[in-house]
Amino acid sequence: MTLVLNRMLRHEVILGVLLVAALIVLAGQSEHFWTADNLLNQGRLMAEVGLIALPMTFVIVTGGIDLSVGSIFGLSAILLGVFWQNMGLPLPVAMVAAILVGGIAGLGNGFIITRFKVPPLIATLATLALYRGLAEGISQARSVRGYPDWFFGLGQGEVLGVPSQLWIMIVCFVIAAFILGLTTFGRTTYAIGSNEVAARFSGLKVDRAKLLIYGASGLIAGLAAVIFVSRVSTTRSDMGTGLELDVITAVVLGGTSIFGGRGTVIGTGLGLILMQALKNGLALSGVKGDGTIVVIGAVLIAAILIGNLLSRDGD
Amino acid sequence: MSNLLEVSGVSKSFGPVKVLKEISFDVRPGEVHALLGENGAGKSTLIKIVAGVINADEGEVRLEGKAVRFASPREAAAHGIATVYQELLLFPDLTVAENIYLGHAPKTRWGALDWNAMRAGARALLDSLDSPDLDVDTTVGKLSVANRQRVEIAKALSHDAKLVIMDEPTAALADADARRLMDVVKRLRDRGVGIIYVSHRLPEIFALADRVTVLRDGTYVGTKPIGEVTEGDLVSMMVGRAIDHLFPKVDTTPGETILEVKNLSYRNTVNDISLTVRAGEIVGIAGLIGAGRTELALTIFGITPATSGEILIDGKPVTISSPDDARRLKIAYVPEDRGSQGLIRPQTVRENVSLAILDRIARAFVVDRRQEGSLARQAIERFGIRTRGPEQRVKQLSGGNQQKVVLAKWIATEPRVLIMDEPTRGIDVGAKAEIHALMSRLAGQGLAVLMISSELPEVLGMSDRVLVMRGGRIVAQFDRKDATPDAVGAAMTAAKAGASLESAPLGFKGAAAL
Amino acid sequence: MTTETPALSRLVPVRRWKSFFESYGQEFVILAALVVLFVGVGFYNPRFISANNLTSMFVGNAYIAIAAIGMSMVIISGNIDVSVGSLIGVLGTISGTMAVNGYPVILCWLVPVLIGMVINAGVGVLVAYVKIPSIVVTLGMLSILKGGLISVTGGAWISGMPPEFMIAQFRLFGLPSSVYFMVVLTALAALWMKYSPFGRAIYAIGGNPEAARVTGIRIQPAIVGVFTIHGMFAGIAAILFATQLQVIQSTVPPNLELTVITASVVGGVSILGGTGTVIGSTLAAILFAAIGSSLVFLNISAYWLRAVQGLMILATVLADMARRRRI
Repeated sequence: MTLVLNRMLRHEVILGVLLVAALIVLAGQSEHFWTADNLLNQGRLMAEVGLIALPMTFVIVTGGIDLSVGSIFGLSAILLGVFWQNMGLPLPVAMVAAILVGGIAGLGNGFIITRFKVPPLIATLATLALYRGLAEGISQARSVRGYPDWFFGLGQGEVLGVPSQLWIMIVCFVIAAFILGLTTFGRTTYAIGSNEVAARFSGLKVDRAKLLIYGASGLIAGLAAVIFVSRVSTTRSDMGTGLELDVITAVVLGGTSIFGGRGTVIGTGLGLILMQALKNGLALSGVKGDGTIVVIGAVLIAAILIGNLLSRDGD
Repeated sequence: MSNLLEVSGVSKSFGPVKVLKEISFDVRPGEVHALLGENGAGKSTLIKIVAGVINADEGEVRLEGKAVRFASPREAAAHGIATVYQELLLFPDLTVAENIYLGHAPKTRWGALDWNAMRAGARALLDSLDSPDLDVDTTVGKLSVANRQRVEIAKALSHDAKLVIMDEPTAALADADARRLMDVVKRLRDRGVGIIYVSHRLPEIFALADRVTVLRDGTYVGTKPIGEVTEGDLVSMMVGRAIDHLFPKVDTTPGETILEVKNLSYRNTVNDISLTVRAGEIVGIAGLIGAGRTELALTIFGITPATSGEILIDGKPVTISSPDDARRLKIAYVPEDRGSQGLIRPQTVRENVSLAILDRIARAFVVDRRQEGSLARQAIERFGIRTRGPEQRVKQLSGGNQQKVVLAKWIATEPRVLIMDEPTRGIDVGAKAEIHALMSRLAGQGLAVLMISSELPEVLGMSDRVLVMRGGRIVAQFDRKDATPDAVGAAMTAAKAGASLESAPLGFKGAAAL
Repeated sequence: MTTETPALSRLVPVRRWKSFFESYGQEFVILAALVVLFVGVGFYNPRFISANNLTSMFVGNAYIAIAAIGMSMVIISGNIDVSVGSLIGVLGTISGTMAVNGYPVILCWLVPVLIGMVINAGVGVLVAYVKIPSIVVTLGMLSILKGGLISVTGGAWISGMPPEFMIAQFRLFGLPSSVYFMVVLTALAALWMKYSPFGRAIYAIGGNPEAARVTGIRIQPAIVGVFTIHGMFAGIAAILFATQLQVIQSTVPPNLELTVITASVVGGVSILGGTGTVIGSTLAAILFAAIGSSLVFLNISAYWLRAVQGLMILATVLADMARRRRI
């Protein structure tokens, strides 16, 4: 039993060691790194990517991919502003509506993928353009500002000294880890990713599971968008451009196989923290924001390269 | 040199399993040499060696007297050996002409592909195959199976093949198309081409072959000129063992009818099927590849929901539009292809065994790991699965043990109807006997078992009743005592369709009334 | 049974119009759409079909059509590249920077093309030999190239290139050179895809890799080759992009990769690999440019362009899936 646990968690252990090493190096580089302020602030910054990475873990475990999350993020952000300012809805209603639109956009992906059998890569590439296009068309590149103060509590406030969105992320994290690791739905997810045909032949509801997963991906992207708008106090249509890259990198770095069937939420969490630590460390040692994108891209390729080599040994 | 091809003492092993043992045979120019044997007899491996797909461990292949050893199919093709594979290896989006010439297309003086020469060449080849109606400019994806086959044959000829290997070429063809194909084979023979013809259909072999070589369990049984053998001789050469001895079917008294199917159809692959299966009964379905047997199973199980007709459980009509529906109605399906349809191979025995009953061993959606573990341990014990334990990955098990895992998964759902599609394909003799014993025991416990098998001895040995399918229809029905290899084999191939109906006490006409 | 006799059929190796139309169906559809668009919008606002507008439309978009040629080859082989926009941005900046620093013009044109080929050959190796899915490799490349470019240049404007460097602004018989590049490269690529064994191998690999292997096609080198050629077209596109205006902004043109992929897919290149032509992708690039331009003349906000783009991809893909299911 312990042997099995070791095998399952091997990637997570490697990641954990890497993470500790990275933290020690970073702490040595800058005295600012290992301060509560910096760490909590980093938590605040990674909450949006972290949230979206949770359903993305499910998506990739089924052997799919969702490239449209950045665009759904942008669409939800825009609609929050439009619902509230242009349509005059009360802000709480506008928030819920914006999140729901994200969910509907995600269900749209799921529908195209399950009903028309379009490969997820292509389906979400098309909706990446479509949803971003809707965001741009609706907003006409105008930004929305002037939200009431209470709204900023979500993205800028604290609860018990910890940023509010970090709480939301932790709750979602626990729920996602629970669902993927312990429930029948989690089992179905793994079965689909390992062998979709056999899952279907075993009487599992494959299409329904996929629809729910892509729907959740959109819904959470909508939630992250609302949090993000609250954090930066404004709404623009280009929000979340390239976000899918960060999210996919975190998930893949966390040990989820891009071919499906393998991966854990805990791994995604570790991958996410490692990525954020890298970004923060680079920023503290003077690398500008765009330089960190280079590192993310390189880390993404390297993570899969190493994963490929490891899994060849494993079989 | 009278022999075109000589194979002598060829052996081949895959891992510990020896699939070919010292096979020798030869092919003469202008001869159709039939290769006959049950599934798993080693025919496919043998032709793959000749075609250069795999290499023999021992022995020698000589072509026109010279020893050859091909590194790739392409090299074999360069030596004049062409293969028409069963799973036609064509490019659906490319045109007929291009499919024929891909890889060795004619070129113009400037080194560009000469499309006109290619199309004219393809035209000439197809005309020589008596297929003037086949447009060389249509894409292959739009063609019928029969026409694709003609394209494959034209491709083989475009290499100026001296030896053409045909693997079950008529398996997926309707009768008229099969006859037309046989004419093509005769033309090839008359041109002096040597042909290795693999087929199950005995009448075809009698109509075409000059000589026939029979393989059984990877060993060479014999080569006979076709004039010196009868169908009965060939069947006993193929089967070669006492059937009763191997199959431990316990006699049961069938109970109530559990599954009844009335006039069931799915598109044009399943046509107007009516059958019943009673508790404790094993009903075997015999037929050739492409006869519609698996398609029938998939329709009953809800993978391809019926387009017309009805399914009744305990006499009550039910709707089955997904495997989930079938599972809830206590129907289980052990599929034909274990690796891709039956198992999640990278997962453990425990995870596979519980897959179909996850919701039952879950409390509030949480999988009960302890219950799951004990389920897996019980299954290992009950089915005699040889494994290191519940946590071993299924892909590390042998074929027979993998099949037991699939069976255990479905028995865990406590089914009342068990459909088994090729239950012992590709597993060794010992495990086969165990699976058969399990089937017999399950039927004894009151399950209604519907078994599809391409192995005649298995169908005859295990079934209480035998149904024979051809062209998507049930064409004959036999009771256990009347189901002789000759009668069932004849019904499968439709050699003496009239005779088979006569010899069957419950013929096709009677089937609907059941 | 057919009434046609063998003797007759042997006499007629001439392509039938029906099958000709079948294999170029998508091209005809786009051509028809282009005609409708030009006539319709031209009727509404004649300035749309003025020489001035047409010229600026072609000059501004020829590089997209050229990049789409390589993209089409990549997609036909069963892969995808989402990093092409970043690659064009990087190569354009390299070219412009070299020109400003006084390197010989011919080097300023050739070096970026070579760099593009080398980078994409690397991508091809990762895809073919290390077996990382092309979407992942190119997603990573996208951020490496994009991030690298911005962090090196800071997105600064490059200006003061010598006039002899500005190849996209050369004119012959009154037409800008971009148009010649687009037409000639499309024609060459179309011929090459149709008449070279390598071109046909790309179709074979994308259509049925297993059959391609049995036919003796060496898949891995072919994939590397496809990506390398794609890098060459990206390099040429980058030169035209860099020389079309008097200044170059050293960033990645926004959404360029999507526009290029749209041109390929809408042009009839099946996303599942194995079918499509480069003529179709060039026509689709023109169509897309024309739609963008027509929005202005129809007084529709250009901010809807991207939604149109998404809808076009989605509609084409769904039609492709439906057609495949019918077969």
